[in-house]
Amino acid sequence: MITDHSTQAGPLFELRGISKSFPGVRALDDVSFEIHPGEVHMLLGENGAGKSTLMKVLCGAYTADAGEFAHRGEPVHIDGPADARRYGIAVIFQEFTLVPYLNIAQNIFLGREFKSGFPGWVDAAGMHREARRILDQLGLALDTRTMVADLGVAHQQMVEIAKALSQQAKILVLDEPTAALSDRETERLFAMIAKLKADGVAMVYISHRMAEVFELGDRITVLRDGRKIATRMPGETAPAELVSLMVGRKVDMSYARSERPPAGPRVLDVRNVHTNSGLVDVSLNVRAGEIVGLAGLVGSGRTEVARAIFGADRVTSGTVEVFGKVQRGDPAKARALGVALIPEGRKTQGLALIRSVADNLLLAGLHKHFGKRWFSPRHGLAIARSLIERLRVVTPGPLQRVGLLSGGNQQKVVIGKWLNAESKLFLFDEPTRGIDVGAKAEIFALLDQLVRGGAAVLMISSELPEIIAVCDRTYVMREGRVAGELARAQMTEQSILTLGMHDA
Amino acid sequence: MHDAVTAAPAPNFLERLQRAGSAGGAAIVLLVLFAVFALAGRNFLTPGNLVNIAMQSTILLLLALPMTLIILTEGLDLSMGAVLTLCNVVLALVAVKTGALAPALAAALAVGLAFGLLNGTLVAALRIPPFVATLGTLGVAQGLALVVTDGQSVVGIPDAVQQMNSGLWFGLLPPPIAIAALAYLAMHLLLYQTRFGAYVFALGGNREALTLAGIHARGNLIAVYVLGGLMAGLAALLLTARINAGHPTAAIGMEFDAIAAVAVGGTSFERGKGWLLGTVLGVLAVGVLRNGLNLMSVPSSVQVSAIGVLVIVALLIDAFRGDRR
Amino acid sequence: MTAASLDLNRGPLAHLSQGTRSVVYRLLAMALIAAAMSFASEAFLTSNNLLNVLRQASLLFLLASGLTLVILTAGLDLSVGANVALSACLAATVIKGTGSVALGVAAGLGAGSLVGLANGLLVTLLRIPPFIATYGMLWILHGVTYWFMKGETIHGFPPAFRAVGSGYWLGVPIPVYVMLLFLAAGIVFAQRTTWGQEIYAIGANPEAARLSGVPVRRRLVLVYVASGAMAGLASLIFLARLNSAEGDIGETLTLPAIAAVLIGGTSLFGGVGSMLGTLVGAVILTLVLNFMNLLTINANWQPLVTGVIVVLAVFLDNLTRKGDSR
Repeated sequence: MITDHSTQAGPLFELRGISKSFPGVRALDDVSFEIHPGEVHMLLGENGAGKSTLMKVLCGAYTADAGEFAHRGEPVHIDGPADARRYGIAVIFQEFTLVPYLNIAQNIFLGREFKSGFPGWVDAAGMHREARRILDQLGLALDTRTMVADLGVAHQQMVEIAKALSQQAKILVLDEPTAALSDRETERLFAMIAKLKADGVAMVYISHRMAEVFELGDRITVLRDGRKIATRMPGETAPAELVSLMVGRKVDMSYARSERPPAGPRVLDVRNVHTNSGLVDVSLNVRAGEIVGLAGLVGSGRTEVARAIFGADRVTSGTVEVFGKVQRGDPAKARALGVALIPEGRKTQGLALIRSVADNLLLAGLHKHFGKRWFSPRHGLAIARSLIERLRVVTPGPLQRVGLLSGGNQQKVVIGKWLNAESKLFLFDEPTRGIDVGAKAEIFALLDQLVRGGAAVLMISSELPEIIAVCDRTYVMREGRVAGELARAQMTEQSILTLGMHDA
Repeated sequence: MHDAVTAAPAPNFLERLQRAGSAGGAAIVLLVLFAVFALAGRNFLTPGNLVNIAMQSTILLLLALPMTLIILTEGLDLSMGAVLTLCNVVLALVAVKTGALAPALAAALAVGLAFGLLNGTLVAALRIPPFVATLGTLGVAQGLALVVTDGQSVVGIPDAVQQMNSGLWFGLLPPPIAIAALAYLAMHLLLYQTRFGAYVFALGGNREALTLAGIHARGNLIAVYVLGGLMAGLAALLLTARINAGHPTAAIGMEFDAIAAVAVGGTSFERGKGWLLGTVLGVLAVGVLRNGLNLMSVPSSVQVSAIGVLVIVALLIDAFRGDRR
Repeated sequence: MTAASLDLNRGPLAHLSQGTRSVVYRLLAMALIAAAMSFASEAFLTSNNLLNVLRQASLLFLLASGLTLVILTAGLDLSVGANVALSACLAATVIKGTGSVALGVAAGLGAGSLVGLANGLLVTLLRIPPFIATYGMLWILHGVTYWFMKGETIHGFPPAFRAVGSGYWLGVPIPVYVMLLFLAAGIVFAQRTTWGQEIYAIGANPEAARLSGVPVRRRLVLVYVASGAMAGLASLIFLARLNSAEGDIGETLTLPAIAAVLIGGTSLFGGVGSMLGTLVGAVILTLVLNFMNLLTINANWQPLVTGVIVVLAVFLDNLTRKGDSR
């Protein structure tokens, strides 16, 4: 399907003035975006800038609150995934829509199998022929009879792309496709992309690797805080400028940093840690009385670091030392040593939603307060009440089911759980995500209190202004490694983001 | 996680053999069992006995085939033995009453169909976990079998039905083996050559993908359980002919043998990974095990323990090969 | 399908905790059923019948109590019936062989607990899904029992031992006292120990529990051992009552035990339920089956009715669970 796109004037698809809000947050604000055939349009932005929301609007998963779409200049509507498909828009998700124990051809044509004589019978030969043709077009030398489960991630991704193309996709959205690929696999993908360009397929490509942005991109758009900041051609700009366009978010943050005592001895020492979860040679440390930040892009390994420290993931080489004791992948021991993990997903990993506020508050501190055995509901309730008061959790009572609380209050319960356990090293993973301003302020104040009391805090956050305001120093992760450490004076959004991006 | 790029040339036969988890293991298990019993002497390796094993395995195969599909969808059907029993007594009763094969078979198939629909609806539409749903229908079927026969055997099976266990079709194959072979053929084609078959793998491997592709996942899932019920009805024909009666506890517990056969054959309980030919090997393995132990005068219930151990061994092999995520 | 959420957060009992409310509703249901039965059949309200119901329910509760803990963790133990058979036969063999009731009791309890341990290890170490592991165990136990019973029956036990199963004290069957003892123990364990709290947490959200430092695997093994041990205990009382042991006793016990737990309000998905609820569930089920007996309905219908009840209970559980914010 080679179309001569050079004769087409104007963009293939446009988004004009798209806005989208969710309760409490304006995800997209008047964003306009052009997609031209045979072009790779790079989309850049920090975590939470609105990239994935924009893509979801484009593919019909979300409906825009305002704005319009145009296909070859004609106004159209996208009210759902079927509409998006009609205009040839296909998104390559991170979770593939492939069935592991079916072969490539079967996967490509899932639901659209070629019919043959009998009802229900499949024309397998025909499907394989067509699949072969598509794969050849993409330069893929895979046997179409191979089962997807036998393919590596890279090839699976390419099959996913082939699947989209077989549905007449003219616009492919790729979300960090090279994230899990080796260098050679990346080259192969780039070769495929070159072929697609020659065929007139348009691509929207989300990336954090500057090298890719400049090598593949024909057009670059930067988003920030849900707004489109600028669109540039690669020839007219440079990585540093792009980074400066990405930073400078408006943050509603009221935080008054208070005086902190000088830091104490090291309580956490991570040395040359490798894990199966993707960490490579990670070393960092935290001292008592410090709030140390851990920045980096999504997928750079920040959560994995916290999990490795807490023992939720196993460390394959290197050591994690907490309060002088080596940690060996046992969360129960970590708790006993005084380590606390406030995970990213408070509903899925931090709380038992069907249990009460009191139940959740008491869970990590059971052994501290009740020894090995006897639990007293009354005593437990009293402890819960005092925690609720101390943290100012808004709840009708300690017996309220925690799933009914607001996000901010749920987060306080998670924190409260660990205060109850008298922890001394707190690992926070995105502590203020999805929380209103007031609650955020309270949590920051709490962090201050903790370190003033001699505890140590490692704080993972995607909100750079928060990290800059709250932390004493910051490590920046990039693709599973520690890209660098920044002292307080060096911490700016520009410096953090530059470290976090490849070849920035 | 960085996976190595597989150059992935066309898979040769051995690789395809190894592909379905421990299917290669199934062949090994079968061979080992065979060797063990052959060496233990006692009439195992006689042609008469080997034919016996084949004949006795046919009913189990009819159950294990649809069980393979059900397990491929990450489900389970614990009621199969009880439903087979119920079909058996129904078939016997109708056969005795009418003296003919056709109405009896039709009745048995109808009962199987009904329970298949019931199971499928409970699992797919009401989202009840398969083991609970089929545990419940097991109770229902078992109860009905007892009630309908009042606990007594049904005897006086007419020739039309009895014939199914003797003689040769096409001068070559005993009817049970012919039927089992045809059933396998049909299932094989269904699973590997039709859209429905692809959807079965998808139901277990990535149900979302199916819905995203606009396919009715629920309907296909119900169909899988219906297939189980129908095969139980068919198997009832062979069973009635074999035991020459309808008995309210005839096949109670046979689902365990079926599940064991499927597991030993290399079909995994998760992710839609499996192999129909492996199930045949598994059925034969179970058949060989039972036959061998029978010849050693080991009582039936103990044989079942042995099968249980066999399943655990198969699962262990699975685990060590890292196939279980 | 859309589920109507049964919102138990409003209404006259809103000030009680969820768990207590659940039990109260079931007590009401039990009372209603009993009332209906006393109208429908004169034989129901006789002291003989009522005591019989109590005895049956007590036995069922003992078996279901350990199972409750397992289901609280979102697990399942399908082997309890076969466990009862094995433990009873083993105990019987030992009593007959050594003449010592004490040794027999130890053997029965020990066997039951060992089976539980095996189940626990299959689930935690080999990561086999509970329903498959215990299902396989069920058949293995069945075979082992037959193997050493060789199809024979053992009967004739010392009167003191038999009294525990069929005797009375102060006009009440002795199993009821045993039931009360373990009811109390069960309630204390579930509500008043740290282990109990951790078990509820594991059922409600196993990952959150693990990330809160709960030693999940150890607790899981514990609940399966408990289930096995209670099966062992129940088997002894069964043995005392029946005064005989053969390979297939207990075969028909698994389904009613599960039914009792589910009727009592314990959710298959874990984290919700209570010991008291299981007792009420056991009573309700026994009442229903007793009702069928009094109406001289063919006993063969019983597994059917139990099966239907189990499916209904899970269906309702599904509905109320969907109404929760998860």
